Amino acid sequence: MIAAAWICLLTPLGATLAITLAGSRITRRGAGYLATASVAASFVSAVVAFALLLGDSPEHRSHPSTLWSWLTAGQLDFGLRILVDPLSVFMMLVVAGVGSLIVAYSIGYMDGDDEERRYFAYMALFVFSMLLLVQGGNLLLLFVGWGLVGLSSYLLIGFWHDRPSAIAAAKKAFVMNAIGDATMALALFVVIQRTGSLDFETVFTHTGALGGGWAVNLVALGLLGGAVAKSAQLPLHTWLPDAMEGPTPVSALIHAATMVTAGVYLIVRTNPIFEAAPRVLELAAGLGAATLVLAGLIALVQTDIKRVIAYSTMSQIGYMFLAVGLGAYANGMFHLMTHAFFKALLFMAAGIAIHALAGEQDIRKMGGLRRLMPFTYIAFLVGTLSLTGIPPFSGFFSKDSILGAALAQGWYGQVLWGVGMIGTFLTGLYAFRLFFVVFWGEPSGFVREHLMTGSHAQAREGHLSHDGHESHMHAGEGPLSMTLTVGVLTVLAATGGLLQFAGVWTPVSDWLEPVARPLVEATGAQEAVSSVLAVGLGLAGIWVAWLIYAKRRVQAPRLATVQALLEHKFYFDELYGLAFYRPAVLLATGLTRFVEQPLVLGSVRGLVRGVRELGLGTGRIQTGLVRTYALSIAASIAVVTVVFLAVR
Amino acid sequence: MKGPDVVWYLALAGFLFCTGALGVLIRRSPLIVLLSLEIMLNGANLALIAFSRHYAQGDGQIFALTVMAVAASEVVVGLGLIVAIARKNLDLDVDKLSTLRG
Repeated sequence: MIAAAWICLLTPLGATLAITLAGSRITRRGAGYLATASVAASFVSAVVAFALLLGDSPEHRSHPSTLWSWLTAGQLDFGLRILVDPLSVFMMLVVAGVGSLIVAYSIGYMDGDDEERRYFAYMALFVFSMLLLVQGGNLLLLFVGWGLVGLSSYLLIGFWHDRPSAIAAAKKAFVMNAIGDATMALALFVVIQRTGSLDFETVFTHTGALGGGWAVNLVALGLLGGAVAKSAQLPLHTWLPDAMEGPTPVSALIHAATMVTAGVYLIVRTNPIFEAAPRVLELAAGLGAATLVLAGLIALVQTDIKRVIAYSTMSQIGYMFLAVGLGAYANGMFHLMTHAFFKALLFMAAGIAIHALAGEQDIRKMGGLRRLMPFTYIAFLVGTLSLTGIPPFSGFFSKDSILGAALAQGWYGQVLWGVGMIGTFLTGLYAFRLFFVVFWGEPSGFVREHLMTGSHAQAREGHLSHDGHESHMHAGEGPLSMTLTVGVLTVLAATGGLLQFAGVWTPVSDWLEPVARPLVEATGAQEAVSSVLAVGLGLAGIWVAWLIYAKRRVQAPRLATVQALLEHKFYFDELYGLAFYRPAVLLATGLTRFVEQPLVLGSVRGLVRGVRELGLGTGRIQTGLVRTYALSIAASIAVVTVVFLAVR
Repeated sequence: MKGPDVVWYLALAGFLFCTGALGVLIRRSPLIVLLSLEIMLNGANLALIAFSRHYAQGDGQIFALTVMAVAASEVVVGLGLIVAIARKNLDLDVDKLSTLRG
């Protein structure tokens, strides 16, 4: 089991190194196959580890393994240590499973790109980083994985490095994540100072040593800061929509398998710390609730197909934060899993459409894809229904159990339950707005130009796309690597929810029970009430979207101020610009003008001038007249002699 | 082996030295300057030898011999320079040879 876990962790890293070192000795397609094979191998080993772990009794399912002592400083000793327990195996299955499908999909999607090898090396690195994050057996290795995830997301978001917007988005993601990394590092320092260790077991059994009061709250806040940044929750969420600049499979990977789920994982993993700081846990739930509504509102007005899906991710991660913040850890993790299925599906189905339309992402130019791309249509429909939480698709089972748990958690939970209910309505509205606009109606001129037979050649001439690779037109809905993986995910998104039905059949909760004991259990009545309401609201959202965007019977209300507010994403970017960027620029120009110019440069210039003056002055003494020198020597000797005589 | 008192020798040495120094300071021809330098050196040599004899120790005389060797080499270099300057048709005047001015 330990060996399987190590193989699971290291094969993607091996693929990264192999592709990087092989350089052009490996074909582009070969790099794709190698990366896919490595991630698939990791998934297989994760399954093996899972099967072996299943053989143990639930109390003995925690198996740490240390390769060697990695970092030693004084009393501290951090091993290169992984932990195989139900939670990490659960994450390994999701990350490697969905990850391998996405990497396989990339073979078709990235076909013909100039730098495919680099792409696949990064993809494998990304999966490795995330696996390190979830398998790390102490907080330090978790933090290393955390940082590597940030790095690989930076590399992949900025993959098309000749686009300034991609570079800017990559930098933004990196900086936002760095804020979270910093708060998390500070939290780890406090943990080291208080408990003298970062191993999970030691830290969790010594949460008392963190001291009641400020220390434990500080640690929890720091960890929450990291989680919020990585999972794109308020107030550090602004990087996620911009991260759509990367290739579509990268978005799928970031949103479904790796990266944004890391925050949820962190909270569940360190739940003993958070439970010692209940106020911070409540803050996490509150942030999740706020994010899910805000993101849902913003998604209503976005016109870029990937951005709408990106905001839906923020919203769904908000549900997960809501769940884990209220102590319903298993419900949050279950939603993480189903979300991985349907979000990867949505991105990859959208990727097929984008691919077929020569890289166009603006939904206003799309429309009527239903008849032209029937397979994509079905896949997207399943993903959208699942996202909205309509039974029997997977989102229904996971989202409603979160809402049911919220209803059971006192007045605070009930307030958040209300917010979550608003969220389900919004989800139905924005998800089906996207769906109807893209797939229903008559094909637009733009679509006709690209997809109708006979006009391919013209389209190719007319639309030299900005990516280069996407100018390759694929007839129909893309190569087998794309359609097959989307097909698998469609099945998963449709049926994945059956793994657990709250109150009746709960293998996921039972599996995670030893690691994260839930703080709240919903009663059957609460489950039923919130399920019925949530589905009703979701259907209401769909109905409104249908009236506005499919039948066009109702005009969408136009409120200029609200529209502006939403289109500017609640002015978060502007606010941060005003609060941090502008003062920083002002400070920098101020320092240039008042410190650097006069003090630094001024002092150097003064020094230079002084030395030059001195040199010119001294130079005047050197007349070049030998007799002057001789005279001065003679005079000096005379003076010295006189002085010596006088002193004696 | 009685001779004049050491003071006389020193007076002569001082006189020679001052004469040489004056020559170095006043004359403008490098040749004469070199010659004056030799006179200064010889003044110093005379003082060395006088003291050597006065204290009945050989060190001063040996040192004087060394000074002579150095002076001879110095003259070789100096005269070589003067010949080189003359070959370039430059004025043999130390005041005009001032290209090393700062």
